[in-house]
Amino acid sequence: MIPLHNWDCNCARLGILFLRKGESIHMRDLKNMIKFEDLLLEAHNDLVRQAKEEGKKALGYTCYFMPEVLLNLPGCFSVRLRAPRSASPDMATYYMSGRTCMYGRALMERALEGGFNFLDAQLATETCTVTCRFQEHLQMMPELIDNPDFFCEFTDVPFKKNDISIQHYKDQLQDHVLDVLHDKLGIDISDEAIRKAIEEQNEINRVIREIGEYRKLDNPTITGFEFALCQLVALACPHYLILPMLKETLEDLKTREPDPKPDYRIKVVLAGSENDDPYFVQLIEQCGARVVADRYCYGSLPGRDEIEIREGETALDAVARHYLESSQCTRFMEQHVMRQRKEYLANLVKEYKADGIIIEQMKFCEYWSYERMIDTFVLRRDYGIPVCSIEKEYTNNAVGQLRTRFQAFIESVELKKLQEERGVG
Amino acid sequence: MAEERMVKMSLAEKLGYRKGDLKNFVKYIADDPKQACKDFIYGKEHERRNIGDLYIQPTGLYRHREWRGLKDTLYYFNVIWCYNYGMMVADILSAEKPLRFFQGIWRYRWLGQTYIPVLHWFDRGLEGLRGPALRASAWHYRGMVHATIEQFMRMFARDIRFNGKETELWRKTVLHNETVSGSIFYPFRDGGLVDIPLEMIPYFVTCHVNSNTVLHYIDAIQTLGLPADPCPMCQAEAGVGIMDDYPDSAPCIVTSNEACDASVATSIIQDWFLNRPLYAMPQPMRYDDPLVQKRCQEEIEGAWKFVEEQTGVPFSWESFKKYAELQNEQLYFEREKWDVAARTNNYPINGVAQALYRIYYSQYGWNETWQLLDSRVRKIMENCVANQIDTFPKTRHRVIAWSCAPLYYSNWCTWAYNCWGLNVVINMDSLMFDKDIRTDTYEHALEDLGWYNELAPMRAMAVGGHEHIFKLWDYMEQFNCDMVAMYDQLQCKGMQGIKGMFEDEFRRRGIHAFWLPHALPDKRTVSRKEIRDGISGYMINVMHEEPLDPSLLDFDDDLTW
Repeated sequence: MIPLHNWDCNCARLGILFLRKGESIHMRDLKNMIKFEDLLLEAHNDLVRQAKEEGKKALGYTCYFMPEVLLNLPGCFSVRLRAPRSASPDMATYYMSGRTCMYGRALMERALEGGFNFLDAQLATETCTVTCRFQEHLQMMPELIDNPDFFCEFTDVPFKKNDISIQHYKDQLQDHVLDVLHDKLGIDISDEAIRKAIEEQNEINRVIREIGEYRKLDNPTITGFEFALCQLVALACPHYLILPMLKETLEDLKTREPDPKPDYRIKVVLAGSENDDPYFVQLIEQCGARVVADRYCYGSLPGRDEIEIREGETALDAVARHYLESSQCTRFMEQHVMRQRKEYLANLVKEYKADGIIIEQMKFCEYWSYERMIDTFVLRRDYGIPVCSIEKEYTNNAVGQLRTRFQAFIESVELKKLQEERGVG
Repeated sequence: MAEERMVKMSLAEKLGYRKGDLKNFVKYIADDPKQACKDFIYGKEHERRNIGDLYIQPTGLYRHREWRGLKDTLYYFNVIWCYNYGMMVADILSAEKPLRFFQGIWRYRWLGQTYIPVLHWFDRGLEGLRGPALRASAWHYRGMVHATIEQFMRMFARDIRFNGKETELWRKTVLHNETVSGSIFYPFRDGGLVDIPLEMIPYFVTCHVNSNTVLHYIDAIQTLGLPADPCPMCQAEAGVGIMDDYPDSAPCIVTSNEACDASVATSIIQDWFLNRPLYAMPQPMRYDDPLVQKRCQEEIEGAWKFVEEQTGVPFSWESFKKYAELQNEQLYFEREKWDVAARTNNYPINGVAQALYRIYYSQYGWNETWQLLDSRVRKIMENCVANQIDTFPKTRHRVIAWSCAPLYYSNWCTWAYNCWGLNVVINMDSLMFDKDIRTDTYEHALEDLGWYNELAPMRAMAVGGHEHIFKLWDYMEQFNCDMVAMYDQLQCKGMQGIKGMFEDEFRRRGIHAFWLPHALPDKRTVSRKEIRDGISGYMINVMHEEPLDPSLLDFDDDLTW
């Protein structure tokens, strides 16, 4: 089924619109893409329903700091909450006012509409204010989730990456995730079970990273939009059901031929705050920039790094260390970490052969308001990377202004490249 | 609008002259000489004061000072006006390098623009007060002024910009976010270390005294691309940095995650412009989880180690113990004050003095000034209790103010009492840091210090679970309040994110509550007049009450400091 909610994206997939004169789409359709799009239209999608019917417990979460791997222990599966096809969150705006991040409000609205009734539990983190408030509403308003056994449990996440913080984080995961899952849902939380979950998590991470590697090619054989679909279904669907499909996609990708003449004008890294909307990535690509790397909440970098269990570590030690050390979240306050974040972005530009960075920030996200401002300044000044800095809403509605910004950015980067080629300036 | 109005005013009007003033005054005496005489000696009763007529609109300046009766006017003139002006000079002369004051005035906008209006700040906060309430509240103001002068003179004495080089004083100083309590640095105080809350004077104090100063800093940071929606307090703090308006007074800085996402982000941007060794000392968000306490304590110990390494001043348990015990004494007195406020009508401190003094001294850490002033306030309070003096006799409603207050209009509660008889008995931020520090062992002290800092202002109630913000209901009962002034900081995501639940609870519990929208330091978003109109609207339309002083219902003070 081709979803009808977004005419632009369907047309683009069918190669009808947004082609420059004399060009055509040569890359054949990638396997499972339409299925993935369908799955992303609902939080309570077909695979979630199937897993529930098979007796598994659905565990919601919103943030990378709630380790996905621990929510995929035997008997349960993780669903990173999204509110696709959100319109105006009117009821949520009563509870959370119109001056908070729309991601939090859209989730609240979806919960009020009954869209998260399939959840058995919400594993919450107080990592950014508004998602925290949304999750507190799940605690305060038991009628919000139509499931008498539903519960919401919070974990405290540190602001640093030192040994103290790792131990702190580990204690929290043990107490507020594992013990709770065991006590309330009867989940096996033994070291062996966590090790097995890590293996399975690593497998899905490997597959996604392998798919993502094709973005590093001089002429990438996967678009940013297609990759975003793969990454998002892995977050929104039970792993054991989505993994075979992702493997098929990977196999298909191995033989996919790129366009002889690329249909993009520049390559960019997309970084920033929460973005679970593949059509936002597509919007950028429609303007002529290929998104080759995704460093944002819900993105794969560095979220799809493999978890390594080092000698002498328990499985939980490894999980705590991995999620804290690998995160590039803006809430880390140590001086060297703050500065390293810029270097990480600059390295992504090199590694993925990008021409620039687009820094996006969800309106009302305070962390990224500041980080975007600093990135815009520092990446340009210290690393010489062209930066396009934009503010966006959760729903991808008013795209006209953004399209103009992206087009102008692409032209400026092209111009710069031309000048460099000609030795001007 | 206000500016246009000013342009149209004649010079005489600008100076406060109104046609018929003299005639009216003569008529007032001639009509009832006995009453006029009584007014001269005792002051007019509340309903006849017409305080609003004293303003030169839209400046908020007074045509003339309020006549509070012979005794109180003389007290105000001598012990508040003259004494404080004199002490403001004396405080500077007794500082380490007095002449630095003039360099500071020239170099730092936040000082140049706020020193002169200090006494107007007193006037605004103490308007309409009489007797012990006037005296006790004024002593709190005096304490804050003294501490402020001490603080900025210390900054200037160490400032590399003025000294031209790193000095010994500079090396033995540590900067910290204003949200890091001064108590963290007690172990080093007797070793000669000076800790300076970075933003407290350039940002926090200046907003109260002159609300125009901070606007420049907010605009500055927004010109760099910061959106207008993050907390304006954090914006202003970042803006002071961007404008290079923090004195370069120390080799290192300790930052904190208090109180919100924007505070964390501000600490991050401070790292870029201050560019010096930094120790981040975050506090856990889910702070009443027993599991987080150990880590919180380890972070404090990490900060101590950092300070030792950076400044060479060794950790001293004896120093910590001494100041922690003094701080405990101060807290005991604070609790006594709360007790009097909660159980009697004899509490002599008005809402704004209570709120500012409490947050100021607890954030600053123990200081001799607080001890001295507290002893004076204690005498006044004990006298009020012993003689059963009703300090705010026109109280119609006992109000608890919740969430964070508008810094540019912290004296709204003075107006609310004068106009409507709303007596703000206590406020959320005054209830923070409510934790004794045991000094019998190092472990106990560290544990309590961790807790103390977790209970910091704008934080203890706002993070770590909705149950903290809903402690309002318990405090309402404890302080015997029948109404809530609900601050609606438009850019505070934490409070905005739970607004609907408050509405639901107010309805469910049948509580009278009015919302007070504001933007912390930025008066352009919601003006003072709009704040007053909101409150008056509620009192007229919902409570169906008549104002005590109708002259305060509608006036324009948009251009005031």
